[in-house]
Amino acid sequence: MARTTKLTLKKWDTLHSNGPFPLKILYKTKLEGSGTMPSKLDRYNDAANEIQRLIKETHNQNEGFRAYGSAWSMSNIAHQKDRMHFNSHMNLRSNFKDQDLHALSSYRADNIFLLQCGNTIKEISEFLEEHGKSLKTTGASNGQTIAGCISTGVHGSALGIGSVQDYVVGINLIIGPNPGDIVYLERHTKPALNDVFVQKIKARVIRNDGLFNAALVGLGAFGFIHGVVIEAQNLFLLKRYVKKIDATVALQLAETLDFKNSTFKINGETDSDGNAKTPYHYKVFINQYSKDDNNYVVECIYKKPYVQSYPDPFPIIKESLYGDLINLIIRISEKFPKAIPAFVKSLEKSILPKVNEETTGTLAETFWDAPYQGPAFACSFGVNHKDSVKALKLLADLTKSKGPIPGIFAMRFIKQSQATLSFAKFPVTCMIEIDGVLWKKSKKLIGLKEFSTLMIKELKENDIPFTIHWGKNADWGFPNLVEHMYGDQAKIWKTYRSALLSKEMQKLFSNGFLKTTKLSSEENEIPEDFIASLA
Amino acid sequence: MKLSRVFLLALSCFIFSILLLQSCYSVRIRSEQGAYEPAVPLTRDDYYRPMALIELDTVITIGATSKDFTLLIKKSELCPSAKLHTIEYRNTLGSVLLSAITLGRKRKVKIKYVCMKEDPN
Repeated sequence: MARTTKLTLKKWDTLHSNGPFPLKILYKTKLEGSGTMPSKLDRYNDAANEIQRLIKETHNQNEGFRAYGSAWSMSNIAHQKDRMHFNSHMNLRSNFKDQDLHALSSYRADNIFLLQCGNTIKEISEFLEEHGKSLKTTGASNGQTIAGCISTGVHGSALGIGSVQDYVVGINLIIGPNPGDIVYLERHTKPALNDVFVQKIKARVIRNDGLFNAALVGLGAFGFIHGVVIEAQNLFLLKRYVKKIDATVALQLAETLDFKNSTFKINGETDSDGNAKTPYHYKVFINQYSKDDNNYVVECIYKKPYVQSYPDPFPIIKESLYGDLINLIIRISEKFPKAIPAFVKSLEKSILPKVNEETTGTLAETFWDAPYQGPAFACSFGVNHKDSVKALKLLADLTKSKGPIPGIFAMRFIKQSQATLSFAKFPVTCMIEIDGVLWKKSKKLIGLKEFSTLMIKELKENDIPFTIHWGKNADWGFPNLVEHMYGDQAKIWKTYRSALLSKEMQKLFSNGFLKTTKLSSEENEIPEDFIASLA
Repeated sequence: MKLSRVFLLALSCFIFSILLLQSCYSVRIRSEQGAYEPAVPLTRDDYYRPMALIELDTVITIGATSKDFTLLIKKSELCPSAKLHTIEYRNTLGSVLLSAITLGRKRKVKIKYVCMKEDPN
């Protein structure tokens, strides 16, 4: 039997110290050992039983329950004031055979994998590499759990791929304590696994595009994500370049993504006509306090076929800044805010990748371990890439006029997601993010919450449609924020949630974040057969 | 004369302090592969915040006939895999002196280590 340790706590915090938040009970479940239960499927199902027991225990106390993984989110999305479940030790993974595929499946059995919720990106990448496979994209690092990634919409800057949730093809949810409360969701237009396999995980299948897309970025509100089925691809290499280029050209590329006709070219990354190739990944770094605003540092990554022999990327990849130094300087900056621009400038060399740096490595090597660097903040807005230059200017100017803020801007780009509440909602979404060191509000220095509010107001007043990264800092209580960002999609998301979960379970799987964003409310008008299985 | 004595004393103190500082250092070794055993709840505020850290600060005694000493990493709550992910050892002037004075029979062991996350697959 899977074993759960129950810790009685008073507070809980994120990795980046964005709390602390109150908490009563923290559960952590460890799987039954393979020595006593050799079958992975048996251990997977045994873990599901244990989670159902914990849900029942929580429900009996009329309390809330929320799973979390690596606690990387900086918003309070992962927090539940009553009971939280630490998923990390639920890290089974397995592959499939042709006989597991649905008759209409368009997937190759050797490309799809079942991952239990607590697997981190790093664990998954190493597992896939053993099969000659790779994830299609990840965030900028590898410590997040797969369930956490899809629940909050973790993304990289892969122009043609999208976010982590976009290669998920099946979701196994535990939506209550009763038999029948284990469900497996797929798109009916793109089924992956057959009913025989679904029966092996004791689930009932619902193949329904609308429900699947709503649950995909589920914000932890669609029940306990026990496992996901992902589609991987053959292992590939990434050649990464860091260049300092004319700011006008960098921003023009952000606005148009027209690399072919750009003056920016990298030797060896051109086609037979001499035109620049479109990179796999494009990222622009902007120090809003730099006097040299004629040039920006950009990171361009090109996809290459996998070969076994290539230069070791780690001597460059592992370079990082020692966090304590930042913290010391930020404490000084709270008292002397005028020092912040100089501080950001002085850290530029450490924060930004080194210009003319080049590495070759797999996706997992390129986006390797990010060391903990002390309390941090990050605000990240999604805008249509065509609005990116205007939005960046507004936000950077705000930072200069209302700040200073101890952070630095960057722009990343992601393909549109099919998930109902994905912040990658534009055809290509530009994520404009300011990352930095968490600071305390003082008489001389604006607070993070006030700064977050001003950023929302600035984009609204200038009629720039936007979204916000669910796992990042924001004024989530800003009036009608979610409706403004997602319109009808928010209601559709809530309707699917209300159709799938009982009233009691909607309450149990709610938290402060959902209440603040008005996403916890129940929708009563549910069309007939709204979540019927359609294949 | 007095002045030069004071000067010599101050210089000696300064050199001793420099030696003390220089002889006190730590080295961290981390595996490129593998995930660390995670900490829960998160309580530290340093490099090891997300990791289940084990700290060992002890003095080992080596038998007269022993050439070396091997510390075994065993399975435990904080180290369910019994496999190493990261290890940091610290050297101090005190530990060097202890070893020197006892002719290597007593050795100060001040290490921090993190184990690999348990792999149930």
